[in-house]
Amino acid sequence: MAELTYREAVAAGIAQEMERDDRVVFLGEDVGAAGGVFKSTVGLLERFGPVRVRDTPISEQAIIGAAMGAAMTGLRPIAEIMFSDFFAVCWDMIANEIAKARYMSAGQMSLPLVIRTANGAGSRFGAQHSQSVENWAMAVPGLKVVAPSTPADVKGLLAAAVRDPDPVIFFEHKGLYATKGEVPEGELVDRLGAAKVLRQGTDVTLVALAAMVPRALQAAAQLQDNHGISATVVDLRSLVPLDTRTLIAETAKTGRLYTVEENPRLCGWGAEIASIVAEECFYDLDGPVVRITTPHVPLPAADALEDNAVPTVERIVRTVVRTAG
Amino acid sequence: MQVVMPQLGETVAEGTVTAWRKKVGERVEAGEALFDVSTDKVETEVPAPASGVLTAILVSEGTTVKVGETLATIGEAGQTQSAPPAATEERLSPVVRKLLAEHGLQAREIAGTGAEGRITRRDVLEYLERRKPAAPAAEERLPLGPIRKRTAEQTALAWRSIPHVLQAVEVDFHAVESARVAHGRSAELTYLPFVARAVCEAIASFPLVNASVDGDALVVHRRIHLGIAVDLGTNGLIVPVLKDAATKSLPDLARAIQALAEKARARKLKPDDVTEGTYTISNSGRFGTFLTAPIILPPQVAILSLDAVAKKPVVRGESIAVRPVGVLAQSFDHRAFDGAYSAAFLHRLKEIVEGKDWSAALNGDGG
Repeated sequence: MAELTYREAVAAGIAQEMERDDRVVFLGEDVGAAGGVFKSTVGLLERFGPVRVRDTPISEQAIIGAAMGAAMTGLRPIAEIMFSDFFAVCWDMIANEIAKARYMSAGQMSLPLVIRTANGAGSRFGAQHSQSVENWAMAVPGLKVVAPSTPADVKGLLAAAVRDPDPVIFFEHKGLYATKGEVPEGELVDRLGAAKVLRQGTDVTLVALAAMVPRALQAAAQLQDNHGISATVVDLRSLVPLDTRTLIAETAKTGRLYTVEENPRLCGWGAEIASIVAEECFYDLDGPVVRITTPHVPLPAADALEDNAVPTVERIVRTVVRTAG
Repeated sequence: MQVVMPQLGETVAEGTVTAWRKKVGERVEAGEALFDVSTDKVETEVPAPASGVLTAILVSEGTTVKVGETLATIGEAGQTQSAPPAATEERLSPVVRKLLAEHGLQAREIAGTGAEGRITRRDVLEYLERRKPAAPAAEERLPLGPIRKRTAEQTALAWRSIPHVLQAVEVDFHAVESARVAHGRSAELTYLPFVARAVCEAIASFPLVNASVDGDALVVHRRIHLGIAVDLGTNGLIVPVLKDAATKSLPDLARAIQALAEKARARKLKPDDVTEGTYTISNSGRFGTFLTAPIILPPQVAILSLDAVAKKPVVRGESIAVRPVGVLAQSFDHRAFDGAYSAAFLHRLKEIVEGKDWSAALNGDGG
């Protein structure tokens, strides 16, 4: 076991796959010589050379278009979109081309590509560079959507994404890049669509994703210590495919489900989960599903406001205590 | 508006209401089927005579009534005679409803601890946990009945105070069996009366066996009052006493034993029937036991156990014969006499059982 930061795990995951498979190439803005604006791809250019690790112009459409073409012609590209907010300028290619290619070619064509991106708030980047857009990606049929919360999951899920035959949107969280965690030595390959139960409780179930996972864990500890409420914490890890089996099982055990979401409230991923739970395990519910989300607002740049917009540990605890009875 | 039993044919005088199609409080339209009637001639459904609400049912299903008798009333809403169930304002979660239904519980049984007294899933689970019957008891406490209690006291006293010695002889019941067969094996003619008769005769030669210990004296009884242990099944054991057994012929003995046993099983023994025993025979034979070490009934000094009599190979002369063989075991009080005396008594008993002319005895001849 080695302790890696979340950002080091990104580079380790890319390197593992590039080492394994010559078809894996990596491209994006400042990903090579600069090692990534978040320093998450340091050393890859030196190790794999400028043919396989490419710095691109500042054009997200060019990056995505190049990756799509590469995937169509036999490579397995990893493309980086520096901020997930910039997906907005790529949607035609991502939503209309990449996501549909297999379907529209009747399976003659698959696009084994990964689009990595830095998602989420907390870094004072303002409304256009801080959004959590996992629900955007989730809304497009044909895309897989992954969002790891730990360095080990970053490496393992990134490997699984690269090996997947279809396009995977890989959301890294800006606020987690500096976090550390144990990562097993040697080749690490995880599985898409498997949630993790990080803490088993009896009273409530908190389902979280990415940066909300450590907050849900902290909240669960406080709920237990200060309020005698025993919480299960589930890290979804992947929205598409979604591990509904674990979701339903863990909801049914406590009868109370809380989603902890960083994306804005309207049509956030938790809405879909609430819908699934209502449909699939209604008779196991002991109360309404409660969503704890960022409100439906553009994220403020001011630190105090940004910190209060995104679900905090304190808000999670307060909400659960108020509603769990 | 009264609903009456209709005339269903000229000669029909009565009908049986077999089913009501509506409940009290339900709305019914004129001409709509209201109830089913069965007579000795027809089975038919009867329409409601008017529209309205069924306000009362006066005749329950299965009841036979005369033509023209009132069966029910139809009136306006609000006139029903049974009040509708009180409205409940229960806000139960899906899982609580499910748990209540699964376990056949009513919400009112459970105290809610949730917001505004709501019953939570945990409330139901904890209620079920509390209600769960305790694990089946590892033991059951059965109070001793009067007979059991008396038996307990007597046997414990005997066991504590009497130095018991057990001796046993194997006895060939061939002679007895031959006589029984010759006599047609009547119901009361078990081995027991033969043994009882032999005991009486053996006591004549060994009178100390028929005695009581009284302080530092042995009181030897001239009369033989023979106790016969009778099993009352789960109700315990009782020992009725056959007075002056030695004076009775074998057939009389057999009948008397039978009568006493029946009296005991009918719980009709009088105090006089169970006292003054001087020697006791216990018969465990029917369960096939080989030997029983019986406990002496104080103040008696000996007790004999007759166990199973079964066919066995025995050596007779230089050959092997198949004979009905049983063990007669006697517990005696060592304070009263010694092993040699008891052994001699048993030897005598064996001689009598094996050698007496039992056929003659059965004919009332020779005791």
